[in-house]
This record gives sequence, C-alpha cells and structure tokens, in this order.
Amino acid sequence: MNGFAYLLKYSYRNLFRVPKRTLIMILSLSLGCGFIIWDLNFANSGSREIMNDFLTQYAGNYHITHPDYYDSKNKKEFNIYKTMSDEEITDKGQIEKSTKRAIAPVFVSGEKKTLGVLLTGLEVKKEKKLSTLYTAITVGKFLSEEGSKEIILGKKFAQRINIKIGEQVAVIGQALDGSIANDLFTVVGLLDFGGGDLEESLAFTQLNSAQDLLSMPPERYHQRVSFDMSVETVPVLKNLGVSSWKELLPEISVSIRFIDNFTWIVSVIIVIVVSLGLSNTLMITFFEREQEFTSLNIIGAQSIWITASLMIEVFIMGTIAVILGAFLGFLATTYFHYYPINIEVFTGGKSIIMGGMTIAPLVKIYSVPKYYWQVPLMLYFFLILTMIYPLIRVIRRSSNAI
Amino acid sequence: MQFELSKVDKVYVSSEEIKVFGAKDVNIKIEEAEFMALVGPSGSGKTTILNLIAGLILPTSGSLSHGGVDITSMSLEERTRHRLDYMGFIFQDYQLLPILTAAENVEFPLQLKGFSKKEIKQRVEWALAQVGLEKLGKRFPKQLSGGQQQRVSIARAIAGRPQLILADEPTANLDSKTAQEIIELFLKLNKEFKLTFIFSTHDQRLIDQVRTVLYVKDGQISESRVHNV
Repeated sequence: MNGFAYLLKYSYRNLFRVPKRTLIMILSLSLGCGFIIWDLNFANSGSREIMNDFLTQYAGNYHITHPDYYDSKNKKEFNIYKTMSDEEITDKGQIEKSTKRAIAPVFVSGEKKTLGVLLTGLEVKKEKKLSTLYTAITVGKFLSEEGSKEIILGKKFAQRINIKIGEQVAVIGQALDGSIANDLFTVVGLLDFGGGDLEESLAFTQLNSAQDLLSMPPERYHQRVSFDMSVETVPVLKNLGVSSWKELLPEISVSIRFIDNFTWIVSVIIVIVVSLGLSNTLMITFFEREQEFTSLNIIGAQSIWITASLMIEVFIMGTIAVILGAFLGFLATTYFHYYPINIEVFTGGKSIIMGGMTIAPLVKIYSVPKYYWQVPLMLYFFLILTMIYPLIRVIRRSSNAI
Repeated sequence: MQFELSKVDKVYVSSEEIKVFGAKDVNIKIEEAEFMALVGPSGSGKTTILNLIAGLILPTSGSLSHGGVDITSMSLEERTRHRLDYMGFIFQDYQLLPILTAAENVEFPLQLKGFSKKEIKQRVEWALAQVGLEKLGKRFPKQLSGGQQQRVSIARAIAGRPQLILADEPTANLDSKTAQEIIELFLKLNKEFKLTFIFSTHDQRLIDQVRTVLYVKDGQISESRVHNV
C-alpha cells in the first residue's frame, strides 16, 4: 500500500511537470466531454420536446383499442366500427390515464361548400386535463363540458367552407349500424395547429354528440388515448390492442432514432479527433521523458512500474477532465433548460411541421442521467486506446543501457 | 559477495561485415569495499563494461556472475530486480526526478524494494546525512546546485546499502572544487561503510584516489594498477 501511495504521488506530481500542457490536455478533454454530453442532451431533448408537443396536443403516446381496430399491417388504416367499453379494461389505472374517443370520417357542410373531415368525439373534462388540445384554440372557445352538438373546426377548414364562430354546419356520415347519420352542429372554436395539414382534416365535438350522431351506445367508444408521457413502456392489456406512437407514427420514430444514432456517431468522431490530438501530446510527453524512464529502469524500476505510473497519470488527468466535462455539460444543459434554444435558427426561420402540426420552436434541454456516465466511459475507452502506442514505446525503450 | 566478469566479449554487429567489440576478453573480479576506476578515452568501452557489470546489456560470450549466480541467465525483470537489490547508480547528469524532492528521490529505490515507512524514513535521513544534505531534503532538484544534486544522487545510490555502486563519470559535470568534495565523499563512504564503488571516469583527481585503476582500450583492459591509498 505504501508503494502504491508513492506510485500515486509520483504519477500525480508528473501532472505538474509541464502544467500548461496538462491544463490544455484536461481542457480539451473536458470541453469535448462537456460538449458531447450537451449535444446528446440537446438531441434527446429536441426529440422529446417535439414529440411531447405533438403527442400531448392530440395524438397521445399510446392508443387502447378493440383488438381488430387497426389493420394489423397498416396502423394508419383503422376500422371505425370496432368499438370497446370500459369493462374490457382490466387495468383500471389505464382508465384514469386515458380518455375516450369516438371517431368517424364525416362531411361538414357550410353555406357554399361540403368537405370531408375526421370527426373526433371527446370526453371534454378529461381531455382538458390530459391533453393540450384546448391550447390550440385561437378563435372562440373549447367545447363546453355540459353542452352538446358543439363543433371545433380547423382554422383553414373553416375558411375553406366559409364558416364563422356561432354559425351552424351540417355533419353527414355513416352511423355504426350503416345508416346515414346527419345533424346540425354549432361552431364554437377554431383550431390553429400553426398551418399544418391537420387544420384542414380534423374536427372535434363532445363524445356524447359523436355517439348520438353515429348511433353508438353511450358505453361504447372507438379508442382510449393516453397522454401519460412518463410511461415509456406500452402497457399490456388483456384482449385489447395497445399501440404506441412509435407504431402509429413509424416514420417519426425512425427519424428520431436516426437523429439519436447520428448524434452518437458525431460524438464518437469528436472523441476520436480529441483522442488523436491527445495521443500526439501524450507521445511528446512520454518521449521527452525516455531518458528518465531509462534511468528509473537502471535504478531498479520494472517496466510495469513505469507503465503503471504513466497510466495512473493519464487516468488522473482523464478523471479530472471527465468530472470537469460532465460539470460543464451539466452547466450548459441547465443554462439551455432555462434559456431554451430556438431551433428555427437551424431551419432558416421556417417552422417545423410534423404530422400536420407546427412544432413549438423552443427546445428546453433536459439532462439525461445516463449520458453522464456513458460519455465519460467512452472517453476512458478511447484514452486507453490512445495510451497503447506511447506505452509500448516506453516499455521498449525503458530497458536501455547507461 | 563477489561480482565477476570472466572472458567477457560484447560484440556490436551493425552489418554482416562490420562487427565492433564493445568489450573483449574482459576479466574483472570485484571484491567487497573495492574502489575501482575504469579509465579510457571516449568510445574505449568503459561504459560498456559498466553496463555489463550492471546486467543492463548481456555479453556475447563469457560469464557474468554475482556471488556465483549467473546474471546472464536471468530474465530482464530478474536483472532489474537484481540491480535494485544489490546495486546503486550515480550518473554524470544526476538523473534526479524533477517532480520529487531530494528526500523523495532518495526514497525512490527504497519504495521499489518495499521497505516499511519507518525504515524508509530512517534510511533517507541516514543517506542525506552522509552526503551533508539533511537540511535540504524538502527541496526540489531545480532548487539545488549541481554539486548538491550529485550528492542527492549519491544518497539515492547508498540508501539501500547496495553491495556495488556504479558511477558513470560522476564528476564530469561539476566544477573543480565541487568535484573534489564529491571525490572525498566517495572516499569517506568507501572507508566508513565499506561500500564498493566502480567508476567510469576521465577525472585524474578521482583516478588518483582509487585503489584499482583499469585502463580500457578498444574494449580490452590493457593495464591495471593498484594504488595504496
């Protein structure tokens, strides 16, 4: 132990041999580490914020449906006649976290025009608690909890059929029993999704009004939509179909995975570049001391002692660097959490539209704890690789004569 | 225990045609408390002989032993351990570790040997006292003069009480006065503690003080003289 303490002391003191060089090495490593942590947090938060925006506003993070509700091969095509009821949900916790919806494609007629739209009946009280759909109403108001036969249309859609708040529209569709369904609804609010396509293809009414229109019994509905974003794993419900947003929106899921993986690849490239620079500096540092290593070996230090001292030296430096780097990464992440980044800077000021919705451009960066050990571990791994060649040289050259 | 080189040749081969004898038919017996100098011009082979004695290089032929144990049959690690256990080294340019204090430099071989903390402290204090630097133990090499640095180097070499101390041109980098002081220190250590010294040197003052002088020329010991000092 005494000998090891001396070895540690020797290795530690070596850091102060050329303090400026050590400082530059520590700074380059820690800046690299900090930047990678920040970058990964940014990519993760960007995806998370965007998806959070998108999913909490309307789509939800998973759908509970009748097992045959979606076509098994294409979840974008669904059978609106497949309904379900609360009795079919054995996990009652899911009832609290989700809201019922009755959905049907219908025609909406204004004074001059009739256009097709997807009408969704909502549990108003619960929807207001779980989703942020109501925040998208820019003209008029959201559906009233006690009212009926109220309808919310997209702003663009209302313009196209020339309808204003307070006016009535005729809704025509096919009921559950196959008969023609039609009724008059009063426009109470207009949705603004930032100009996306959804504004032209969605309409909302109270759940009971949709059920009335579609001749659907009150206890029946098409799907439950959960907005509990903290749930990452899709719940398994007996005899029911549960689909995550990743299945329902595979192209977005793949894009996010691509961004995540690409960020990792960029991070590894950054680490390799930093490591190459570091390897060069380590070689210079070690080779400058070759004469000293020879003397140490002559005095009686085994090559392994010399090697161990160098490894400890690099590890001390690496540890200081990754701790500092993790702290810098945390500081930068925290700063951009409170001062979110406007991602429109990267799109030339243009809005990002996803799934028909305009995404909020401000990205709040959140810390992802796993990056605070994954990145340092990766840096350590590359540090070991970086050391191999200089150490082999040291081992070969230390056993020299006077 | 006796160090012995018997019929030792060291041949450096730079190509098939060019072979240079670093040492040729070298026979040396080093007795306890020996005070010996290898003398010769640069390139004569004296440092090669010093390296052979230390086991830093192996002879092409002949035998190299210590107390009857064949050094040439030892592995690299065993020879390093052997040097640590039985030898001390003094270099022309001191070779002190700049990041360690004088005392910590002296401590270095003792730590490698695995002595206890208490014993290390005692030995370091003893060694520094022998070279007259007991009050300068906390100074770093750059805070010491050349002569003081060589004294630290000597303290490091003697701290483990080795059976043999090899010194390569120990006075070459010192001014005349300091060199004389260092020579006197070697003499004192040899007489008081029966420490065995082998020097490789050009310094006539040192040559005049040693008991045995081996003149080296073209890798061979051309002449040996024994002084009564």
